[in-house]
Amino acid sequence: MFQKITYCFLLVLISNYSRSQVSTTDQHLAFINYPGFPEGHSTWDDIGYSVRNNKILVGVTNHLDKVALYEYDVTTLKMNKQGLISDLGHLRPFQWQAKIHSKFAEGPGGQMYFATDGGESREEYLMNHPDGYSGGFFMKWDAATHTMTNLGMGLQYESIKDIDVDPASGIIYAVTYPQARFLVYDPAKNLVRDLGRLGSSHVPRVLFTDWWGNCYYVDWRQRLVKYDKIKQELVFADSSLPAFPGTPGGKIITGITAYAKDRKNNVIYLITYGAKILAFHPEKNGIGKVEDLGAVSESGVKNLYDPYVPNLNIGDNGKLYYIIGGHGNYVVENKTVVMEFDPKTKKRKILYEFPVDQLSEATGSDTKDREGNIYFAGRKDIPGHDASVPFLIKFNPTKMVRK
Amino acid sequence: MKIIRIPIAVFCLIIYCTQSFSQYTFFKDNEGFAIEVSLSNTKLIRLPAYRNGISSLAVTGDLVTGGTTAGEKLSPYIFTASLSKKEMIAVKDVGDVIAGQQAVATGFFHGKNNILYAGTLAGRINDSTYGDGHLIEVRTGAGGSIDLTDLGSPVKGEGVFALTIDTASGMLYGLSYPSGIFFTFRIATKETKTFLASKITQAEKDTLNEFSIAPDKYLSRALVVDNKGLVYGSRPVNRMFVFDPSLNTFTTLSDMLPEVWGRRTLGQADALIRSKEGKLYGANSGDGQLFELDASSLKIKNLGKPIMMNRIRGLAFGADNKLYGIAGAPPGYAHFFSYDQANEGFSDYGNPQFIMKAPGIEQGIEWRGFRLGAIAASEDGKYIVLGEDDTLSQLLVYPVGN
Repeated sequence: MFQKITYCFLLVLISNYSRSQVSTTDQHLAFINYPGFPEGHSTWDDIGYSVRNNKILVGVTNHLDKVALYEYDVTTLKMNKQGLISDLGHLRPFQWQAKIHSKFAEGPGGQMYFATDGGESREEYLMNHPDGYSGGFFMKWDAATHTMTNLGMGLQYESIKDIDVDPASGIIYAVTYPQARFLVYDPAKNLVRDLGRLGSSHVPRVLFTDWWGNCYYVDWRQRLVKYDKIKQELVFADSSLPAFPGTPGGKIITGITAYAKDRKNNVIYLITYGAKILAFHPEKNGIGKVEDLGAVSESGVKNLYDPYVPNLNIGDNGKLYYIIGGHGNYVVENKTVVMEFDPKTKKRKILYEFPVDQLSEATGSDTKDREGNIYFAGRKDIPGHDASVPFLIKFNPTKMVRK
Repeated sequence: MKIIRIPIAVFCLIIYCTQSFSQYTFFKDNEGFAIEVSLSNTKLIRLPAYRNGISSLAVTGDLVTGGTTAGEKLSPYIFTASLSKKEMIAVKDVGDVIAGQQAVATGFFHGKNNILYAGTLAGRINDSTYGDGHLIEVRTGAGGSIDLTDLGSPVKGEGVFALTIDTASGMLYGLSYPSGIFFTFRIATKETKTFLASKITQAEKDTLNEFSIAPDKYLSRALVVDNKGLVYGSRPVNRMFVFDPSLNTFTTLSDMLPEVWGRRTLGQADALIRSKEGKLYGANSGDGQLFELDASSLKIKNLGKPIMMNRIRGLAFGADNKLYGIAGAPPGYAHFFSYDQANEGFSDYGNPQFIMKAPGIEQGIEWRGFRLGAIAASEDGKYIVLGEDDTLSQLLVYPVGN
């Protein structure tokens, strides 16, 4: 009863708070609200860009049992709620989902693929109990027809933390939670292969593909693990990704938190949970070289490995953009900062500082539209409450953004 | 305003406290540790992916000996690790000694002079034909070196699914896969006898087929010898049998395995163990009940279930006289538990999560066991060793009474 009263109170508070905020007036930056879902609490890496439809997709969760799908039309600048994934995906109450935690990845037909996540104490602790979590689903969203296809569950009881798609074959790669099992799913054959557990007690949240459609993840030693699509098998790097001396094991096992691709220069930039920026040069055969570009921030940190950066984008200018903040990690006290990093000069710069009630955390990797705008899934704290309000961040480092 | 703030603060405090009490910490025993057994593409002594599901374990002094299950068309390993050094010592590819084997799944059994015995399952030749499983003898050197000897195949065209030893008489007793043929093997003479009377009948198969139950779900996964040298195992449907080696006879016990209504066909001895005092304990795979088998009255007593899941994949006695075990199995998440008949009853520890240190991860990382396949106690009972049954499986070691 007390929980319900407090929950209703917070709902009203969040709703009012959300409406009372104004977007930034900076011409390179826009904060875009998600309309029609006052329960919206947060977004977790669940962002992607549909090249075919010129739309940004985001999943907004109430961090309990509802996830609303949003489309931001880059052409019309409209943010539209498409519905709840439980309705769109024909899920039953016992198949509740707390989050979309995966990216939205574009498949060969232009449809957007994603997966669902338990993301809550009900999954964390009740696990395989009937009151626990049934498992995460693969889903396909067609932005042209506004139709969702439920592609079925990955593994029973396991969330799906991230996916990516081989744009040539349509094969979906996925990683599960809490076991960090690497799945390869062929929707055409309805065939799920469980290639097994790769992680330790804290699941790395991000996997990514290269230009040939191979997929990369990490093992518990933070070694790259490549799924070779030709050989259809895992290839393990023989050494770990660079880490700062003294990086705790808990950060090592969590691997990569964000990436951004520069296809023209055959580089995939990575950020690790130990706060390093890396330049990964993928190779069609074999793993490829990794270059250490240094820290995400050298100032304002007790340890260089401290900052938490679950986001990364690359601008048309070749520079990297990321946001530091959230989960108690700040390089400027109680401020979330937008950083610019030039891979050529290895110089970094704070572009913006925001108090946490304007921007507390951002997630999402490699989300850029045709105009060169980059996007992050952001949220801001509600002071004094264990709640937040999500919004989309649109940023263009070289041009004014259309609002 | 103040009037509004106070109740809100009270509500928030209640919610905070409610949530705090509802959360759990993982079972992270301070002295518990993990040993990195598996890691692909490394110069360290490790097992490669898909060949390391730990399905057999034994501890002799400081030395852990493991036997693994591999994926299709891959051969398993025997490995050794040191408890004191918390490190792998040696690995031996079973395929180097016996071709075509896929699993060492029976568990290890201590013979004289610290020799270990186990059985293997061969790979499938086609949908209905299996290769020959073998009995193996494992001798470990003081430094952990592994000497593997092939004792031959007890039943042609069948694997070795379950095994036990009567050390006093020097006999191995086993059950073949997939037919369930009971066999005896005299270690000294290597003489094998098979008993077709134990074979699963067509009528039994027909009943089991109605439930789409395959041999690995109905053949006894374990055998145990009592103080008199009688051998116990299970057979469908939901029964225990006892084999008398002096008469070469089988008797089916009148008591059934503890069951949940409707699931009798899932009855299967998942684990069987004899205490120092000679008491027999077992576990039913179908719904994960622990039971006690009175060897004198042949009565079965249901001791209950440690968790909601089916299966108890292994049992081992600790120095504190508690019976430790692995409850649950995929697709669920296995739990480590103990049973103290005198005092506590069942205690559930959830998924154990211990620190794993090794060259390259000297700072230590936490390893959480989800798929636990094997368990063994050290000879003094001070350590319980758990083996994962996964793609890249590790050992989790719990110091008893810590």
